[in-house]
This record gives sequence, structure tokens and C-alpha cells, in this order.
Amino acid sequence: MKTKMNVNQIIKKYNLIFLLVVFIIISTILSPSFLTLNNFLNLLQQASIPGIVALGMTLVIILGGIDLSVGSVLAFSGMIVSMVVFRFQGSAVGILAGCLTGLVVSAIMGLVTGGLISYFKLPDFIASLAMMEIARGAALLTTSGNPVFNLGDAFHVIGGGFVFGKLAISAIFWVILTVILALVLKYSIFGRTLFAIGGNREAARLSGIKTKRNYVVTYVLCAMLSGFAGILTASWMSTGQPTAGTGYELDAIAASVIGGASLSGGVGSVTGTFGGVFLLQILTNIFNLVGLPSYYQRIAKGGIIILALLLNKFVSKSKVK
Amino acid sequence: MKKNKLVMTLTLVLVMVMMLSACGSEPSDTAANNGSSGTEGSTTGGTEGEAEGTFTIGFSNCSQDTPFFANMTPIIEEYGKGKGVEVISLNADNDVSKQNKDIQDLLSRGIDILIINPVNEDGPSAGIEACNNAGVPVVTVDKNIKKGNDAWVGRDNKEMGRLVGERLIELLGGDSAAGTILEIQGTAGSTTMMDRRDGFHEAIDKVSGLKIVQSSYCDYDRSKAIPATQDLLQANKDVVAIFGHNDDMAMGAAQVCKEQNFENVLVCGVDGLMEAVLKIEEGGYDCTASNDPVLLGQTAVDTALKILGGEKTEAFVDAGTVVIDKSNVTEYADSSLDFATMVK
Repeated sequence: MKTKMNVNQIIKKYNLIFLLVVFIIISTILSPSFLTLNNFLNLLQQASIPGIVALGMTLVIILGGIDLSVGSVLAFSGMIVSMVVFRFQGSAVGILAGCLTGLVVSAIMGLVTGGLISYFKLPDFIASLAMMEIARGAALLTTSGNPVFNLGDAFHVIGGGFVFGKLAISAIFWVILTVILALVLKYSIFGRTLFAIGGNREAARLSGIKTKRNYVVTYVLCAMLSGFAGILTASWMSTGQPTAGTGYELDAIAASVIGGASLSGGVGSVTGTFGGVFLLQILTNIFNLVGLPSYYQRIAKGGIIILALLLNKFVSKSKVK
Repeated sequence: MKKNKLVMTLTLVLVMVMMLSACGSEPSDTAANNGSSGTEGSTTGGTEGEAEGTFTIGFSNCSQDTPFFANMTPIIEEYGKGKGVEVISLNADNDVSKQNKDIQDLLSRGIDILIINPVNEDGPSAGIEACNNAGVPVVTVDKNIKKGNDAWVGRDNKEMGRLVGERLIELLGGDSAAGTILEIQGTAGSTTMMDRRDGFHEAIDKVSGLKIVQSSYCDYDRSKAIPATQDLLQANKDVVAIFGHNDDMAMGAAQVCKEQNFENVLVCGVDGLMEAVLKIEEGGYDCTASNDPVLLGQTAVDTALKILGGEKTEAFVDAGTVVIDKSNVTEYADSSLDFATMVK
């Protein structure tokens, strides 16, 4: 039984790698600029911020929930960081204080969403939709819709800096966070608990797992990852934009699902999500390189989501036979 | 159970604190905003127009999400106050049906004239019809509507694109200029985007050595413009300049050029965003065409007062633009503003 499960999981993983390889081959044929180190490093940087958001989303999806507020939390956190950094004129103290405030505020928003869902029994879709509106409104309210700029060069390093020439620091954050979360999901009690709750919430509760508390912790984690992505976004663009992160929630859900997560909960992996985000970014990249209008890009994006899901289904069906 | 209750109360308290802090920051925030734009209103206004004291202007704004639109409301309110008229403003949040309801509400509050920045050109037609039936004149500002208005106060976006294109050609060395220009595009289907694009192409097409490569649509959004610029710089090796349909996107392109050592690539945009204007002064950004919300809002109020005073106005009132580059940037650089202004 156990080996069968593993084989199935491996096939599922290969299925994403297969898609990635096919895409890389197609892209290489379409554009000579695609398979270059420079472009690969660009890709890593471009994918890193949506990638970090998608990590949090995957945790929530494994739990059997959904969080629509990620993009708005990102924006609000980014605004707070920018305003604090601006006040302190880009000094080290200001940057540290700003980042901490941003993370704490994001955590509070996650706490509220998670609390509403688990303790007040609001549907996760609705609770996070409400938070999406509240956080976006708050982000716009901070400066009446104006961006904050003049944040100084020191702050720009966190999300816009490079090491070893052209390796983006934000990409390193993304990879490290993915590895940590993959280990947490696989080996920690908390990680195993998430799968148990997502698989069967009632059974998990009856077996003594504190489902409510785990729900809140997961939403707080997801919000903090979005908040961190907000800090990186503000730093990367050297401006706090209250409209940042619009539509990120859907991209994050798409990436999680392409990476093998199931919206009914209990299934998913952060490494799969990493691949999913990368796949979606390759799509944008190749359309830009070839110079096709973005209309096609959106159609292709939809097509890929369907294709990835069909492949997943096909794999699980053949297992049953 | 006790623990549950504690968590419940804590969550409730948190929610309330968040709500309170949101409410609490609102008044101080708008006050600060009025303060900054108030200086323009009180210095330019107040000299004339005291006689119209009893008029009420209704202003329906399409949204307050972008700096440009967010600025417009306080500008019109302050300038109107300076002219001795009352201004009631409502914000439609990009929602056509809300804008129609907003207009109805303004009518029932007894406005004498409506200034409207429409969500789109067909959207508010029901509200406009109600104004026409009630005999309330309509002035459109920034964007126009299909029919039913007395005047449109706006800008010629095609002209703005053309002016930037022409200045760019001069900066690139005139008719002998050669190479690829990247065009970072705004929102698909927007008339502003198409006008800026067409004007820019009209100028650049006259120089045979220059070729334009267009990006995918970046929705006037910097976070979409940065990846697009990175990709296009990968795919095109002889880039000499980048033109953004607004300054926000072009600022993103300028950042990419700096990071990837394309220091000789010229960058230009449209809007006169102060961040970009300051960058022109500092180096690393080359030119922009101003799209000053202060002058636009003030012209709209002036036009409304003219109509109320029985004067005839043009169907299209051009609020004007000016190209800002290294040569004249000191006249416009003022870090206390969001956009370069032509109002002195």
C-alpha cells in the first residue's frame, strides 16, 4: 500500500516535470534568448514574489481552506513598510522597524481571518473575501491611494538586490522558504497535522488534533508569507503601491493546483507549487520574448491549468485500475 | 471551553481595534491631504468669483485607487471652496452602476451643475439623462462620455504621445537616429493607451532608422512593466530607448536598465509623475509630458462656473501639457507634490 502511494506520488511529480520540460523545449525553439543564464536568473527573480505568496496558499489549501486575501495583505504590508521606511529616511533602524511592523500587521490580519473561520465558523471563502476587501481598503487609505517613493537605496537591496552578479536576493528567499516549508510539511507534527485535517477534519478532531488552533496558525503563516512578499515587492519597486498584488490570489491558487494540490484538501506540496509558479512564469516570459499579445497568454494560462489537472486525474485513475 | 471563550473575545477585540484604527486614521489623513493641495487652491482662487457664492457643484469621480484620480477630488473641492462654491464629491469605485446612483444622489441634494469623471464613456448614460431632464448642466473631466454633456475638460493624449516621441528623436540625435525602441503598453482597449500609442508612433514613424517593439499589456502597473522590460531586453539587442504609456511603468523600465547595465538606453513616459520628474533631475530618466491633475481640476471648476454664469464654452477644453526634460526640470521638481504642475 505504502509503496503504491509513493509510486503514485512520484508519477504526479514527474507529470509536472514533464510539463516543465515540454515547455522549456518549446520555448527554446521559439526564442534563442530563452535558454540563457541571464534569462533563467530573470525568471527566478520574476517568479520569486508570486512564488512566496503561493507557498502560503498551498499550506491553506492542504488544510482544505482557501485564502483570497493574500494580494491585499501583500499590498497593505508593503504600504506599512514603505511608510515606516520613508519616515525614518531609509535608515537601518527604519528598515528593521518597518519590516517588523509589516509582518506583525500581516500576522494580525491572518489571525482575524483564521479566527473568523475556525472559532466563528464563517466559510473560509467569505472570511478571506472580507479580509481581501478590508486589507485593500486599508492599503488605499494609508496614503489616499498615492504610492510612497524615495525609500532609499539600502531598502531596495532586500527585494531588488543581487548577489554573485545577477542572482536576485528575493529568489534566494523563495528557494530557502520552499525548502524549509517542504521539510516542515514532511517531518514536523504541524506539517502532518495539516494533511490530517485537510484529509478529514472530523476524524482529525476526534483523534485529538486541535483543529481550530491549527487553522489559525496556518492562516497566520499564510498572511505572514504574503506580508513578507509585500515587503519584497515594495523594496523591489522602491515604492509602496497600494494597488500591488491585485489578482495574486488566483495565480497562487492556480500554481498550487498545477503543483498537485487538491482544493478539497489533504493533498499538495510546496515543491510542486514551486514548479507551478515557475511554469506560469515561463509562460509570461516566452510570450514577452516572442512578442505575442497578452490575450493569447491568458488563453494559454487557462489551457495549462486544465491540462495539468487532467494529467493529475489521468494518473490517479490509472492507479485505481 | 474557557480557552475558547478567551480566544473569541481576543479576536473580537482585535477586530474592533482594527476597525477603530481604520476609522481613526481617516479624518487626519484627509486633513493632511487637503492641507497639501489646499495651498494651491487658496493662492490661485479667491481673487474672483465671490459673486457665485450660492452655487453647488456635484463631482462624481470614477475611482480613488490611483494617485491621479485620488488627487482630483481634493483639488476640485479646495479650488471650488476658494471660488466660494460648495462642492459635494462622491467616488464610484470603478463601478458603473454606483456612478449612476451617485449622480441620482447628487441631483436629490440639489446640485446646480455636475462635474463627472466617468468610469467609461457609456457607463453613466442613465445618470446623465437624469441631469439633462432636470436641466442640470454636465461637464466631463479627464474622460469623456458619448453624449449629453455641455463641455469636456481633458487632454489630448495623442498630442502627449507625439510630443514625447519628438523630444525622444531629438535626444537620440535627430533624423539619423537608429535602433529599437521598446514600448511598454498600458491597459488593453483603453482610449488613453491607444491615443498615447498612436501619437508616439506618428512621431517615430518619420525616422526610418527607428523600430518600435511593443510589450504585452502591462495595465499601467510597474510590477508588470519590470518583468516585461527584462524579457524584452533579453530578446532585443539594439535597444536605444524605452517609452512607457505612463511614468509609473517607465520608472520600472528605468530600474531594470540600471540593474542590467543598459545605462545608455533613454527612458521616457507620460504623466509628469513627480517621482519621474525628480529622477530626470537626478539622472536616469529622460523626459515626460505633464498630465497635471491640479490644472485639470481647476479648469473643470472654471468651466463649470462659466456655464453657470451663462458664458459659452468650447465643447473640448484642453487643459494643456508640457514636455519636461533635463532643460526645464528645475521649474517642475517639487517633492511635496505627486505630479508636476503647470499652476504657479
